[in-house]
Amino acid sequence: MRAVLLPLVSLLVFLVLWQLAAASGAWNETFVPYPSTVWRAFLDVSTTHDGTRGYQGYLLWEHLYMTLRRVLGGVVVGVLVGVLVGLLMGTVGWVRRVLEPWLTFLRALPPLAYFFLLVIWLGIDEAPKITLLALAAFPPAAVATTAAVAAAPISLIEAARALGAGRSQVVRDVIVPAALPETFTGVRLAVGIAYSSVVAAELFNGIPGIGGMVKDASNYNNTPVVLVGIAAIGISGLVIDGLLRAVERRTVPWRGRA
Amino acid sequence: MSTRPTRLRGFRRLVALAAGALALAACAVGPAGGGAPQDAGKPTIRLAYQAFPSGDLVVKHNRWLEEALPNYTIKWTKFDSGADINTAFIAGQLDFGAIGSSPVARGLSGPLNIPYQVAFVLDVAGDNEALVARKATGITDVAGLRGKRIATAFASTAHYSLLAALQQAGLSASDVQLVDLQPQASLAAWERGDVDAVYTWLPTLDQLRKDGTQLIASRQLATAGKPTLDLGVVSTAFAQAHPDVVDTWRKVETRALTQIHDDPQAASAAIAPEIGATPEEAANQLKQGVYLTEQELTSAEWLGTDGAPGNVAQNLQSAAQFLADQKQIPAAPALATFQKGLYTKGLPNVLAS
Repeated sequence: MRAVLLPLVSLLVFLVLWQLAAASGAWNETFVPYPSTVWRAFLDVSTTHDGTRGYQGYLLWEHLYMTLRRVLGGVVVGVLVGVLVGLLMGTVGWVRRVLEPWLTFLRALPPLAYFFLLVIWLGIDEAPKITLLALAAFPPAAVATTAAVAAAPISLIEAARALGAGRSQVVRDVIVPAALPETFTGVRLAVGIAYSSVVAAELFNGIPGIGGMVKDASNYNNTPVVLVGIAAIGISGLVIDGLLRAVERRTVPWRGRA
Repeated sequence: MSTRPTRLRGFRRLVALAAGALALAACAVGPAGGGAPQDAGKPTIRLAYQAFPSGDLVVKHNRWLEEALPNYTIKWTKFDSGADINTAFIAGQLDFGAIGSSPVARGLSGPLNIPYQVAFVLDVAGDNEALVARKATGITDVAGLRGKRIATAFASTAHYSLLAALQQAGLSASDVQLVDLQPQASLAAWERGDVDAVYTWLPTLDQLRKDGTQLIASRQLATAGKPTLDLGVVSTAFAQAHPDVVDTWRKVETRALTQIHDDPQAASAAIAPEIGATPEEAANQLKQGVYLTEQELTSAEWLGTDGAPGNVAQNLQSAAQFLADQKQIPAAPALATFQKGLYTKGLPNVLAS
């Protein structure tokens, strides 16, 4: 009961504060529009009205759907490669020494810095966007997996070896299960980082796409639509994280009981 | 096992580095901090500029405003788009701005209703903004673009001109595929064959012209009643409080316009470093734009005179109407709003120095 009530109360307090801030007149309406204005913008971008379909010809869910598709594509590639590379780096010492500086280098780059290069190399359609999201998701997945593998309890590994397990058996039966909980945290982190890069990924030719919508609306100082887009990104991000947690509970029930 | 000592050493090195960085930062801050108090007494004038070739850059580069107003601190800030300048005006962070007519039409309309006024016409888009199709597509006129992919920077004057050109050719925005690309990115997409046509400005435009066919330039749209301008705007509150500063600003901007006409070489030499081009390139860009003379500026066709606001108000209203048709603003305000949006106080005599 309390778990539901508290977030609801915080949401209500937030809405009341927002309304008060807008009504106070201390800020221009472009900076702090009324909640009702944002609600109207939400209805406008979600429906067809006076012959206009949503925002720039696409409804809100269509923008969101395109973005989710791109994020899914990018995350699947980024996380798969990231976990494999992490597994390799965690188990084979020289691979780690070779790859770690590259990984750190990539991790330090803001996607905006190299997105222009992706456009030159890959064009303006889906390829550069999905590549950017994959590049954003790859390092956290790889780093978390590496750390998780390296932290696999030595006693268990030695016990398995003593019982006659080969290298591949040790990896499969000891290291992977021990590393899975931490890896999952890395995956969640990777999804979060990829998701926070959607506006950058949809900077060029991003419509339909929720990031492209936010960018376009801010070009026109259209704050209500920007807020609708931000809310859509934030809420869908919460839902995705909730789903990932549910999956985590199912697949790694031994978390915290190692 | 051997990792631990290395890590510690690495950590120590990091601490040393951080300490060094801090010391450096302190040095960097020192002189600037020392310089501030001596300027503290002077009021600051905040100007927004953009890197398009215009008299505004001549004024900035030659420090004419600093010379003319020694009792003020002049602060120039570079912006990349009119939308950002609009935002800064709403936040009350600017006194003057160099900004395209399309964002000004948005700014003077609801819901923004930015309290600023147009006090100068910096330039009129001529052949420096144009629509070019790739030669390989075989397209030779605007009507041939039906179903094709066209790139332009959304919310810019080029975007406005593109829509106007399409409308003129009997096409609507939904008859073509519009792609939002900044000039550099549109060049990349063009070279990869991802877009069929691009509406953009110099210097990217010249690179596109090499293997493209020009379909229409903003100069033709201007004669057809859809001109795009770069304007100088001033915050209304600032103009009321410091009319003398606005007068001085208009005078130095006029001086720059005169120099563009009389001594284009000196003007290009000043503009070149500001836009990151050679003086020859800058001269070429200047040649393709339209720069008004002092007489034209205060004629009824453009700013007009004190009490008789000129045709720029009509231009802005027509731009606003266009944006309203495109659903970018809820509705275009009446002409009177834009006439009030022109700052013509003392024109034309005030410009004579």
